[in-house]
Amino acid sequence: MKDVSFGQYYPTQSFVHKMDARVKILLIIAYIVGVFLVASYHFLGFGACLLFVIIATIFSNVPFSKVLKSIKGILFIIIFSAIIQIFFNKSGKVIWWIITDEGLLNAGFIVARITLIVLGATLLTLTTSPVEIADGIESLMSPLKYIKFPVHEFALIMSIALRFIPTLLDEIDRIIKAQKARGADFESGNLFKRAKALVPVLIPLLISSFRRADELADAMDSRCYAGSKNRTRYKKMHLTYRDLLGFILTAGLITGVVFLNGFYVLLVI
Amino acid sequence: MRIVAEELNYVYSEKSKKLAVHALNGVNLTIEAGDFFGIIGKTGSGKSTFVQHLNGLIPTDSKHGKLTVGEFVLSNKKCDYKALRAKVGMVFQYPEYQLFAETVFEDVEFGLKSFYPNLTKEEKEVMVKTAIETVGLNYEEIKDKSPFDLSGGQKRRVAIAGVIVSKPEILVLDEPVAGLDPQGKKEFISLLHTLHKTTVKTIIIVSHDMNLVAENCNKIAVFCDGKVAKVGTPKEVFTDYENIKKTGLDLPLIAFLTQKLQEKGIEISTNLTLENFIKEVFKKHEEVKAKQREGGNR
Repeated sequence: MKDVSFGQYYPTQSFVHKMDARVKILLIIAYIVGVFLVASYHFLGFGACLLFVIIATIFSNVPFSKVLKSIKGILFIIIFSAIIQIFFNKSGKVIWWIITDEGLLNAGFIVARITLIVLGATLLTLTTSPVEIADGIESLMSPLKYIKFPVHEFALIMSIALRFIPTLLDEIDRIIKAQKARGADFESGNLFKRAKALVPVLIPLLISSFRRADELADAMDSRCYAGSKNRTRYKKMHLTYRDLLGFILTAGLITGVVFLNGFYVLLVI
Repeated sequence: MRIVAEELNYVYSEKSKKLAVHALNGVNLTIEAGDFFGIIGKTGSGKSTFVQHLNGLIPTDSKHGKLTVGEFVLSNKKCDYKALRAKVGMVFQYPEYQLFAETVFEDVEFGLKSFYPNLTKEEKEVMVKTAIETVGLNYEEIKDKSPFDLSGGQKRRVAIAGVIVSKPEILVLDEPVAGLDPQGKKEFISLLHTLHKTTVKTIIIVSHDMNLVAENCNKIAVFCDGKVAKVGTPKEVFTDYENIKKTGLDLPLIAFLTQKLQEKGIEISTNLTLENFIKEVFKKHEEVKAKQREGGNR
């Protein structure tokens, strides 16, 4: 159960870690847009995105292996979408059996796209603690306050959810062990049987989550928590030269991608 | 069933060098059939890891020492864990949080379904009834109730019925009286003794509560840093004051009092139960009085 930790915050000191969380979130969104901007089959654009990830990783002091591990978690999705593209794409020239050149290109394109997006997103979670991300999102969404959207509460819900993931994993581990000791079998049988075997785990988990939520609410109440009104912060976020550099690099990436889209066309002609 | 562990090792996250934690460092321990066995130790001493080995919740192999439970050789790869788990029941801390079914009957029956799938409906009913009555609950009254409508103590009893229903020969309980009020605690301990006399041969208690193990177990193992620091009767373990201190544990109340009296030069020999202690103190008192009288007469 503890293996689900890919993309978990990697505590260290670095250029990227010290960047403003809000900026990092915006830049990652821009980066993802950049990945999507790469026009069909213009693989050089992906090269630019990869370069961006590599530079960002170097500046973040996070070992490359940590970043690459994130792909392991979505390997199934990657392989699945590649297979669908390879075997079910009917357009283009047939190379062998039912496999077409367009299918292969599409598969490569999709694999590159998913991988790059996940790498970028992982880099964000590796270098930004959950609390910072929640604070960042709250600050980014603050304009929505004017249309009476409960921004602070929304951010609070998010940070509580993130905070409780490890607690719930421990809890699941405990309940699974207890039910295994009573003869529960989670490893054998078909998909339906296995899904049914999870009922004795999910129900106690649900009940204890409600109990925990109640207790947490009481604990917050007894500390006079009252939401966003007049609340001050321990850590204030401000922009620094690092964020400016980040902006410049990302802007460079997007221009590069757009440029390479055109450039590739020129090369083909 | 006899439990024998020889040089048992276990390392959490063995493959990663940074995160590896040696939970067990060569545990040698024999628990005889019929024991009311206590396992004590600080947090992180490896006691929970050890008991989770006993029914294969933490699998082991021949590279990590040898572990046999009755005829089951757990260090052998082909060990039948399901059959083993039917024989070694395990009650975790706060077992009431593992209840899930719609009725008490279904929840208790859960273990039977997977351990003995060939039982008829009637046979199952008899076994469930026996289990519920053994833990001191009224079968007819409770069987169709939702387990979530019961009181805390009742829930815990139902959870234990769900474990003993498969007729285990060994019952392992992790902090069994945690969170119970004094009265509930007393009742629960007497339930354990009833179980020990009637259905379950061996009972193993893992606890931080020194008084609980000192007063109820016939044998105790002290875990420290993944090893067994001492095994013996409560008296042997808790009169070895130096060793207990070294393992970071407190003395049970009676042992503490005995030690304090010893420091004052009053030797009292007790088996660490409150009744026995009081009797011995009175005896000593009478002796001293008699001696004083003699001295006065002279």
